[in-house]
Formats: sequence, C-alpha cells, structure tokens
Amino acid sequence: MDKFVCVRLVQANALDLTLFQFDYDLTFAVFFMNTDRTIYGRYGTRSERKDATKDISIESFREALAAALALHKHYPANKTSLAGKQPRPTQFKTPDDFPSLAGKYKPALDYEGKVVQSCMHCHQVRDAERRFFRDERKPIPDDVLYPYPMPNAAGLSLDPKEKAKVKDVVASSASEKAGFKMGDQILALEGQPIISIADVQWVLHNASEPATLNAQVVRGGKKINLALNLEKDWRRHSDIAWRTTTWDLRRMAAGGLVLEDSTAEERRKAKLADDALGLRVKYVGEYGEHAVAKKAGFKKDDVLVSVDRQTSHLTESELFRFLLQNKMPGEKISVTVLRGGERIDLELPMQ
Amino acid sequence: MTKSLTLLTGSLLLAATALNAAEDRRERVLNDRKEVEAAGHWIYNDLPKGVAEAARTGQPLLIVVRCVP
Repeated sequence: MDKFVCVRLVQANALDLTLFQFDYDLTFAVFFMNTDRTIYGRYGTRSERKDATKDISIESFREALAAALALHKHYPANKTSLAGKQPRPTQFKTPDDFPSLAGKYKPALDYEGKVVQSCMHCHQVRDAERRFFRDERKPIPDDVLYPYPMPNAAGLSLDPKEKAKVKDVVASSASEKAGFKMGDQILALEGQPIISIADVQWVLHNASEPATLNAQVVRGGKKINLALNLEKDWRRHSDIAWRTTTWDLRRMAAGGLVLEDSTAEERRKAKLADDALGLRVKYVGEYGEHAVAKKAGFKKDDVLVSVDRQTSHLTESELFRFLLQNKMPGEKISVTVLRGGERIDLELPMQ
Repeated sequence: MTKSLTLLTGSLLLAATALNAAEDRRERVLNDRKEVEAAGHWIYNDLPKGVAEAARTGQPLLIVVRCVP
C-alpha cells in the first residue's frame, strides 16, 4: 500500500462517470490508476446481499496490488494492452446529469449541516440509469438490468482468494465448452491483463451478445489460448436479487413485492410442478410506491402461479426482466395467486 | 384514552429511535473523516490532491470508493 498514493472517495455526488465506471451496487470498489487517468485495473466484487466479503479477500487484494504495481512499472510500454480497460463513452457525465437526480444533491457533502442526507449513494446511479429508460417508456436493456455479471453467468467459478483462478467449471456451460479447467489462472481476457475478478466482470459487462471472448490462461506452467463463446441472452443467467438496486426494480415491476421461488416442499404441498411458475410473496411493501401491490390486494405468502398468462417457471430476476422489457408504466398485469388453496385473480399495476 | 396514550408513546419512541439512528450515522460520517485523516496514509475525498501527489512522487493511484459504513 505504501507504494501507492491512496485516495478514499465516500460519495457519488459529482462522481466523474466518464472515469469511474464500476458496479454501482458495490460498497467497496477500487481503481488502480495512472495520473494520466489510464486505469490499470479494478478490484471489488459482490454477489450476495448479506455477506459482502464472500467474493473478496486480503489475499486476492494483495495480488491485485502487486499486479497493478507491475503494470505501472511497465507503463507506458504496455498502454495498448490496457486500452480495453478504459472507461466507455457515457451519455451522463455525472450523476446529476440523470433527470431523476438533477438538482437533488450538491457536488460536495455538507459537513456543517445535514451531512448524511447530503450524500448520494453509488447505487443511486444505477437506479437513475434504469429509471431513465422506464420514464422514457423504453425496455430496460439486459446490460443495464444485469450489470457486471459474475463469471458464473458463463459457468465459471473463480477463487475469491486468488487473482482470477478457476475454482470450478459448470458442466455443459460456455466455459466448459471453451475448455476452461479447474486451476486455470486467467492471465488475459480480450487482450486485457486480468488482475482481479472485477477485471473479468469488466470484460463481461462490456461484452456484446452473442460474443466470443479470447482468453489466455496458465495451466501447468504453459500458456493456453481459449475462445469463450457467449450465446445471445447469456447475461440472463445472472442473479440480481442480492442487489440494492433491485429494490427499485421491485417497485417498478412488482409494486413493492419481494418474491422467492417456492421450495420443493412448498411445491409438493401446493401441487405445483417443478417447471411451473411458483413465486411466493416473501414481503409486501408498506409505503408509497412500494405499497402498490398491497393496495392491489396481494398478501404475504401468496404464490404467483400465472403472470400475464405465463405459467412456466421463472425466478424473481427473470420475471422482472420480462415485465421491465415488455410492460410499461400504467399497464395492469393479470396475476393469479394461490392463497390458502384457492386461486385468486388480481391485477398488478406497472410503475 | 389509554389506547391513544399507548399510540402516542409508541410514536414518540419510534421517533426517538429514528433520531438516535440518524445521530449515530451523522457521528459515523464525521468520525470517519476525522479518523482516516488522522491516520495520515489516505487522502480523504480529494481526488485532485491525490492526482497531484501521484504526479509528484511517480506512484500509481489506488482509489477506493467506499461509503461510510
């Protein structure tokens, strides 16, 4: 750490979005950077709501630090290889440029006054991005709904204690078909030197659909090149339920309901097939726009078995995608729920 | 009368709890800045200062975006 100039940023107010592009659901994100704004790499990964440290470790952070120092040492000779790591053009240069955030926060925290209320949280940037599409009555695209996919969206599990080492490969997944093996160390992806799982997520976040990503791994001391073929809609394998920003998706698509797939036991009792829709209402929002489903008659422990005549199995994330890409604010969706053994027809307003 | 009193007491308690939570958070935000700056190693919430220091020393920047817990 002594070999770096360390800067801590604590709020998203006036954050330069032309530079700081990362997973805004994170509560800990790191950039390694040159003074000319060239980014060497990123660190910080999360895939669970409660356990914020599941995907990070001191060991992998130490490795990322060492790798960033090595990139700095060889800069600018290695500048070409870092090109893919640099921020992408963005429509909104600061959070304040988003219509839903405009004028709501000052550029700096108000330490002399209401300092807590003066702080814009990073997740509000993603909320604002999605709200922009919604307010424009446009479908929210996959890359905005499923930002910074975990490598497991491609069937790859990486060891949180290593830079980017393969811990497991899902059978029949895109990664297995590409030839990834347990123990492979990912050196580069799309030509970018990889120093963390966050760097892998950066490549995935910016990948097209479908895409072929060129990977270089080390296996048994040898460098091997692999081609990872990602099919159309590959991002939809991501689980976004853990994300803070999914709270606002619940407002838009479910009137404030939190949904959870029924367990095998619940399905057996309700006589629901494994491939049938069976989303149980885990929580009903109580206030404001999060109480819309409550006002429409939905109750805790209702089981959604039909939504807009769809009766096949969907996770909460999949249902939100369907609704947010196909139904616009003001529409009312026909929903059938199971409650106490009875089927009840309700209407769910979209927001 | 008893019911109204209970509701009023409950509301006051809730308001007091919320106020305490807000005060706690305010304290945490203020203390965070104080403690990090006192530790000396970190440049707190001042990116231009960090960039200037990195330019002066030739060291790379490590920028952490981290809310106050």
